Amino acid sequence: MADVQIQIQDALFGDKAGKVVRFAGQLDETNVDEEAKKIYQVVDQSELPYIMLDFGELTYMNSKSIGYLTDWYTRIAEKGGMIVVAQPQPNILDILKVVGITQIVSVYETIEAASQALAAGAVNPAS
Amino acid sequence: MIIADRAPETTTDPHDKSPSKKSVKITIIIPTDAYFMSGLRDFTMNVVRNMTGFSDQWAFRFQSVVDELVNNAIEFGSAEGEEIKITFVSVVNDHIEIFVEDKGTGPSKKTGEEMSKMVQERRQQDPTKITTIRGRGLSQIVANWTDEMEFIDNEYGGLTVHITKSIEGGETL
Repeated sequence: MADVQIQIQDALFGDKAGKVVRFAGQLDETNVDEEAKKIYQVVDQSELPYIMLDFGELTYMNSKSIGYLTDWYTRIAEKGGMIVVAQPQPNILDILKVVGITQIVSVYETIEAASQALAAGAVNPAS
Repeated sequence: MIIADRAPETTTDPHDKSPSKKSVKITIIIPTDAYFMSGLRDFTMNVVRNMTGFSDQWAFRFQSVVDELVNNAIEFGSAEGEEIKITFVSVVNDHIEIFVEDKGTGPSKKTGEEMSKMVQERRQQDPTKITTIRGRGLSQIVANWTDEMEFIDNEYGGLTVHITKSIEGGETL
């Protein structure tokens, strides 16, 4: 069974209160349904969600986890918030690109760049 | 996509003894349980890195291809307690073929023709407009990272999914 750890921390992006969600390990069929609930909780509890998904230590994600990412984006965009992906490893960025998700959700090489984008309220690619 | 019944075979010229055309065939069988997927991904990574000539980037890509194919077989093809057979055929520095074979005893059995049609229809969709959680594995990940994907009705009443990828095309993507 794949192992994944998810840490959720409060964060300030400029004057916007938000969350940083750090992923470490592998998201696959054995754990993604259960782990996705944690992110839905974060999204649902915020009126105006500003969320950074830190993929720095995420080593694998399957198609279903990408499907969840798309769904989080949709829900957050409906609330007027933002979600960005920060520092994905090359194989993670590769799979996000091949399914076209990088045309929808902004991806940044560093935490700092992702924070600045959230602080500036820069629009997501599909907005 | 071709619907046919055929067994794994290599296209290696038997008279070609050059080391660059060495052929390797590995078959593994796992129970119908996603618990084994993490180990299968590690195994796939090692096979591609050490026995094919593909780059590291493609080793990661084949991890995803195999993961998606086997997850599909687990979800639809073979019932719990049954088996799924995965065969890697590598002609080193030339191409790789992967066969994923289920028993057709799963909860949502589909024929090769039905699977081909479903994947083709999903391929027509703009990937940025897909709003469902599912539906990207075969039609986006596997289809984009392989040269050919075919669904074969096998002798057990299930499906064998066969993919091929040439190293020349792979290394230039």
